[in-house]
Amino acid sequence: MEQAGERESEEFTLVARKPYFDLPTACPACLPLFIYLKLAHFPFRLSFNSIFPDSDQIPYVESGTYVAYNNENGGVIERLKQDGIVDLDSEFHSVPDWVAMKAMISSWLADAMMYELWVGSDGKSACKIYYSDLSWPIGKVLFLKQVYSVKQRLGITKGNAEQREDEIYKRAKIAYGALSTRLGDQNFLFDDRPSSLDATFLGHVLVTLHALPETSVLRSKLLGHNNIIRYAEKLKMELIESSSSSSGPQIHSVPSSSTPKRGPSNWSSKPKSKPKREKTEEEKKFKRRAKYFLAAQLLAVLLFLSVMGGSDADDMELDDEDEGLVYG
Amino acid sequence: MSNLDSVPDLTPPNSKPDPEHQTPFSTNEIDEEDDDGDDENDVEDDEEDEDEDENGVSGGPNRPKPHSREARFRSEKLKMDSLLQRMKTGPVSVRIHDVIIKGNTKTKDHIIEAETEVLNNVGSMQELLKASQIVNLRLQALEIFDSVKITLDSGPPELPGTANVIIEVVETTRPLSGQIGAYTKAEARSSTVEGSLKYKNLFGYGDLWDGSLAYGYDHSAELSAGVFLPRFKGLVTPVTARAYLLSQDWLTFSSYKERSMGLSLGLFSNQHHEVTYNLAWRTLTDPSQMSSRSVRRQLGHNLLSSLKYTFKFDRRNSSMRPTRGYAFVSSTQLGGLVPDSRSLRFLRQEFDLRYAVPLGFYHAALNFGVSGGVVFPWGNGFSSKPSSLPERFFLGGNISPVCALGGPTTLWGFKTRGFGPTEPKRRVNNENANPSGVDFLGGDLAVTALADLSFDLPFRWFREKGIHAHVFACAGNVTKLTEFEYRNFSVQKLVESLRSSVGVGLVVPTSLFRMEINYCYILKKFNHDRAKTGAWLTFSSAT
Repeated sequence: MEQAGERESEEFTLVARKPYFDLPTACPACLPLFIYLKLAHFPFRLSFNSIFPDSDQIPYVESGTYVAYNNENGGVIERLKQDGIVDLDSEFHSVPDWVAMKAMISSWLADAMMYELWVGSDGKSACKIYYSDLSWPIGKVLFLKQVYSVKQRLGITKGNAEQREDEIYKRAKIAYGALSTRLGDQNFLFDDRPSSLDATFLGHVLVTLHALPETSVLRSKLLGHNNIIRYAEKLKMELIESSSSSSGPQIHSVPSSSTPKRGPSNWSSKPKSKPKREKTEEEKKFKRRAKYFLAAQLLAVLLFLSVMGGSDADDMELDDEDEGLVYG
Repeated sequence: MSNLDSVPDLTPPNSKPDPEHQTPFSTNEIDEEDDDGDDENDVEDDEEDEDEDENGVSGGPNRPKPHSREARFRSEKLKMDSLLQRMKTGPVSVRIHDVIIKGNTKTKDHIIEAETEVLNNVGSMQELLKASQIVNLRLQALEIFDSVKITLDSGPPELPGTANVIIEVVETTRPLSGQIGAYTKAEARSSTVEGSLKYKNLFGYGDLWDGSLAYGYDHSAELSAGVFLPRFKGLVTPVTARAYLLSQDWLTFSSYKERSMGLSLGLFSNQHHEVTYNLAWRTLTDPSQMSSRSVRRQLGHNLLSSLKYTFKFDRRNSSMRPTRGYAFVSSTQLGGLVPDSRSLRFLRQEFDLRYAVPLGFYHAALNFGVSGGVVFPWGNGFSSKPSSLPERFFLGGNISPVCALGGPTTLWGFKTRGFGPTEPKRRVNNENANPSGVDFLGGDLAVTALADLSFDLPFRWFREKGIHAHVFACAGNVTKLTEFEYRNFSVQKLVESLRSSVGVGLVVPTSLFRMEINYCYILKKFNHDRAKTGAWLTFSSAT
């Protein structure tokens, strides 16, 4: 079936990775593009590809025979600008601060996110985002491959692992501080107008807050900046939650598993430093106690049966015999 | 072929024989007699030549040796004639006392014994000869022996009417062998050149190990290693296991590349039935980034776990040039055999029916064939899901439809993946309004029909080489059913959009493959079909 329609008459579709953690798409590469299109009030449909986690083509925007892949021309946002489809940054290209912040987010914060997702945390979040729709053996092999590739890209070896980790977190902290200062009390980062910088930063913040586990160091560093949290929550409500009904039916929507809603009231700025260890100790204690209890119960039942059961058994036998015999 | 040293109900070899009644004979002469009468007997004669040394072994010490060769020949012939006379008049009863296996140093006894089970039920001399022949062929078919010699000897003297069977095998001295050949793989739809190394009998269980590298005409490459076990833990049929790494490049046709890594197990296989299990990790990618929408949606990783059952009934006299008989093949493949709903779930059914009618003159025959196939996903929401791209039917290719038995494969005159549903590829240049091409997406339902009249040419040279001519006609169609397209399906539409072609050509059969040089005329094709009227060359090998 050929569709020879004009580009404008065809709907635009954004193909991204699957939704999770209460986000329309939980992948840190896809969410900025989603937010960018929302900020520009650009109408599009959302579609998912959850079987190709290691592709650098995703996310992409398509309309008829037109496709803008993420691994071409500097990314989908750049490509859409070049093709004149959507452009929020027309006045910001010459502003040096804007360019510098863009570079900082694309390097330091992107590295920090990559590190935290694959190496810093236990990888569960990454598995949920990328591999939950793939069969287990494939998912496992791809995960190990990706962890190895991330370590290579970030230059992490056995010898310098701690050092690199400190460096990555330090840079992220500096970036958060700078962005927080830049943001202040405004609604957007620059000139109170949305730009691709907001989209990229917001994407990073939302994934950090919602997808990373509560023990994440990166997350705890971010939680120290209240104005960023406020900014993120406000825009999330405006762009994602309020307009979710108007975005149209989602194609290939994968049933996302029910994740607990983590709103701002549930967050604490103090990171739970070693909650895991405590949890497992508590669990162990509880299990031990439960075992003792069960054992005690069983012992009691056995005792009862053996001590009292003798007479009972006799009574039982007598009762059986009673059917045949009559005792006077 | 069997060696017969002595007829069991005659006096044993050591006693003084009656020169008139005794009929000892050496084996090679019996074999020659039998061979003369039976052209289809596939027995090798080199083994019998070795038996010339045993000439006269069963003869008594007093037997006068003829002086001249012809005289000797005449006397032996007389003896054999009398035995054959006896065998013609009625069954010469005999039963097997013992089967002795010699010569196997590495091969386990039970492997050889398993092939000799047919000897246990023998009741007469005639049956014994036949059974020995069968055992010989079976042992040779294991491919692990350089030669197999079966000798019949009389049983112990206290048990008259019995015979011992002595099987002497010579294990292969060169277990490693290499081979290069041309094949036609039905899945690849094209000819492949394959080089393989085989190692025979590594562990003594008749196991055949092989590693092979195959390259196909359609840019497919496969690296695989496999093992063939004739007897695995008491299973009746041989078991094969094959691990493979396969890469197929469909970029020019459908804008994707397929890479598979998997394990294929042949669980059961006999003359008519075959069951195989396949477990593979398959990845579809598009390095050209030009694919159409439907193909883009299918890119990614998939786990394939499927069971395939094939029923084959081939009563044609030849698969390369069928002139008489009929054949029917049905194959069913069920994918998604893991409890994981995330693996590829589909049901694929193909069938193929052939009929050949001899016409009597010039060795002519009319071949008819009809084949069809359907693939459908199953599971939740199956009617809205698309079928998996590599599982669909793609018709077209450079193999001959007459030889490709198994399902709908191709039509004469149409190129690889040459027709069916298409979708425009990605547009590259914004200013350029022309589409850059189409992707062939294949279909969920495919049907083909063929009619082929083959006849010898009136020149003796051609007849001797087996080169003959043929006139053919074929028609076929491929359509989509999934994603609710089955609602728009109708047989009338299918028939209206049938592609068809006719043609005439020359068929050149060689030892490796069957080559056809055809002139095809396309009767009906549609917009994007890749078909041309003109000269075509096809290569097929026997399936």
